[in-house]
Amino acid sequence: MLDNLVFQGLIGLSLAMYLWLLSAGLTLVFGVAGILNFAHGSLFMLGAYFAFTLYGKWGWAFGPSVLVSLIGVGVVGAVMERVFFRRIYDLDLPYQLILTFGFILIFDDLVKMIWGGVAMIPPMPQWLDGQLVVLGRPFPVYNIFIVGLGGAVALLLWIVLERTWWGRTIRASAYDREMASAIGVDIPRLFTSVFVFAAMLAALGGALGTPVRVVAPGIGTAMIIQAFVITVIGGLGNLKGAFVGALIVGVLTAYGILLFPVFELFIIFVVMALVLMVKPEGLFGR
Amino acid sequence: MGRKITRRAMIKGAIAGGVIVGSGLRGFKITYGKTKSPKEPIKIGGQGATSGAHADYGWQMMAGATLAIEQINAKGGILGRKLELKFMDEELKPATAVKNARYLVTDWGADFLFGVDSSGSAMAVGPVLPELDRLCFFCHAATHRLTEELVAEKGIKQIFRMVAPVYQDALAAWVFKDNPEIKRWAGINCDYEYGYVAWNLFKQNMKKFRPDVEFVAAAWAPFWTMDFSSHISAVMAEKPDAIFATPWAGEGVMLLRQALLLGVFEKVQVWWQAMGGSVDLLEGISREVSADKFHGKLWATARYIHNYPDTPENKAFVEAFRKRWGKLPNYSAEASYSAIYAIKAGVEKAKTTETAKVAAALEDMELNTPAGVRFIRKADHQAIYTVPAGRVVAKPEYPIPVLGDLKVVPAKEYFRNPPFEPVAATK
Repeated sequence: MLDNLVFQGLIGLSLAMYLWLLSAGLTLVFGVAGILNFAHGSLFMLGAYFAFTLYGKWGWAFGPSVLVSLIGVGVVGAVMERVFFRRIYDLDLPYQLILTFGFILIFDDLVKMIWGGVAMIPPMPQWLDGQLVVLGRPFPVYNIFIVGLGGAVALLLWIVLERTWWGRTIRASAYDREMASAIGVDIPRLFTSVFVFAAMLAALGGALGTPVRVVAPGIGTAMIIQAFVITVIGGLGNLKGAFVGALIVGVLTAYGILLFPVFELFIIFVVMALVLMVKPEGLFGR
Repeated sequence: MGRKITRRAMIKGAIAGGVIVGSGLRGFKITYGKTKSPKEPIKIGGQGATSGAHADYGWQMMAGATLAIEQINAKGGILGRKLELKFMDEELKPATAVKNARYLVTDWGADFLFGVDSSGSAMAVGPVLPELDRLCFFCHAATHRLTEELVAEKGIKQIFRMVAPVYQDALAAWVFKDNPEIKRWAGINCDYEYGYVAWNLFKQNMKKFRPDVEFVAAAWAPFWTMDFSSHISAVMAEKPDAIFATPWAGEGVMLLRQALLLGVFEKVQVWWQAMGGSVDLLEGISREVSADKFHGKLWATARYIHNYPDTPENKAFVEAFRKRWGKLPNYSAEASYSAIYAIKAGVEKAKTTETAKVAAALEDMELNTPAGVRFIRKADHQAIYTVPAGRVVAKPEYPIPVLGDLKVVPAKEYFRNPPFEPVAATK
């Protein structure tokens, strides 16, 4: 029994690390630019489609396909920020909702027009196929890779934000935009770079998911709800919060399915409601 | 300005007068679009899921219906009238499906409706049909309640179901009842009505045949589940001999691929993928079947499979479909194709497109369709025909895997019969 609990926990951990990739960008953009980007899920979806086209259709290797799809989505993110989001930084939240929701609809229809509505899954790359024996049961190499990568992204984000000049300016402008601007930080350019970075994180999740998850219109919307729950639990705009929130959601989902299969779906939302009641700003919110 | 208002008022008056006269003639019953001249086309409105992980089903419906309509039109139509098709996306959402049905009948002027993928959508569309005064031929939605409750119990005669209902999923009980070594069954099922009923019906029948069988675990996955690894790992913790799974379409492909990743096929003896015989699912696992990754342990059925029955009708249909669309037909395509021919048979027998008369003409009718002889049972308007189960295998003469080692159980053995005993539609 204990073995099964630990094993399920590991499965939950890999789910958590996957969700973290998506939530990190969502919370980063909110924390720095104050934009709640519901179209973040659409960038995730675009990452999946780009990687699918390169890897599944054109027969590229998996690694380069993921990298190029990151760059592609980064460009899309830059255009979105430069042309659209820049105009609404000073407006109320409802305008953000309308704009980002509009993007969701546009992207969903766009991929339907380009790739069709049918779901597609390319094969697993050789080097990620296979299992290791963990506690006497087979555990996928792919999941181990995702756990490692999620941890690496967390570490990278920490180093970038805490140890680099770029990270310091980001933190400064998140803290006080006007003051940062007054001492010479190029705010518009900084926001563009943060937005591109977040878009690439979303694309990373989407692209890495292609060999196991389906590539279809609407996957972005399906994912963004989970990412949103995670960021709310952790505190909107807080990266540490998103990491802990992803761990909570991933691991609880896995244990819910094992231990309370009949009402597993509610558990996450109950947790979110409890957090909102006790600490409305989220676990790590300011 | 003044003149314009006068003219508008006059038109209004004329319309009102027309309506009064018209409704007087019809006994005050307003019906939509039934006063067409005999040379106008018969309009057929369809809907299915054409987006998302289940999108192939809606496409297949449209493809099957289009093929039938082209064939019929090439031979002069029905009673000299050509057929016209409009097909919409129901998005697996009941509200959208009802909106579509209303739009198709009242705005577009459909004479007949068909399609509908989701059971939830079907249960929402069914009760609206008497008011719309149209027949709807359901070609995929599988809940037993559509025919058992809405037709047999509540008497909504506008509902016809051309496709095998959820009874088909429970066929696993008949296929594996004689395997004494398979004792521990676990379920990975859809977290909505279809999954609940399929699992309950299977358990009910299996228990009848084999009191020694245990149902050791159940995991539930809602629409849009993309990571099934928690579900798979949770049921595998109970060391089952066999898995009963209902996720369909793209979700079924993901489930099976993730099960392979988790090494499930090294552990279990049998995996029953209820609707695994559908073309889109077989296409999605093609590479893995060719590489024998399932070790011949994957079994499935469907609501029709293209390599059964071995009749000229079926061969002609499959060939025509492949020629027209470059793809093999799945069951929603065959059911829609047969639905259009059922409309033809009903209208020709009734010699009118009037809803009640066509419905009466179709009751107890036997139709020769690609899937075999369909008998439309009067009590519940359910088409009864046999679909076998089989092992998922690769065959050189087909571009994608097919079902082999076919186990044919006659439909009358596993279809439920009126009067219907209730089945729980809960987890």
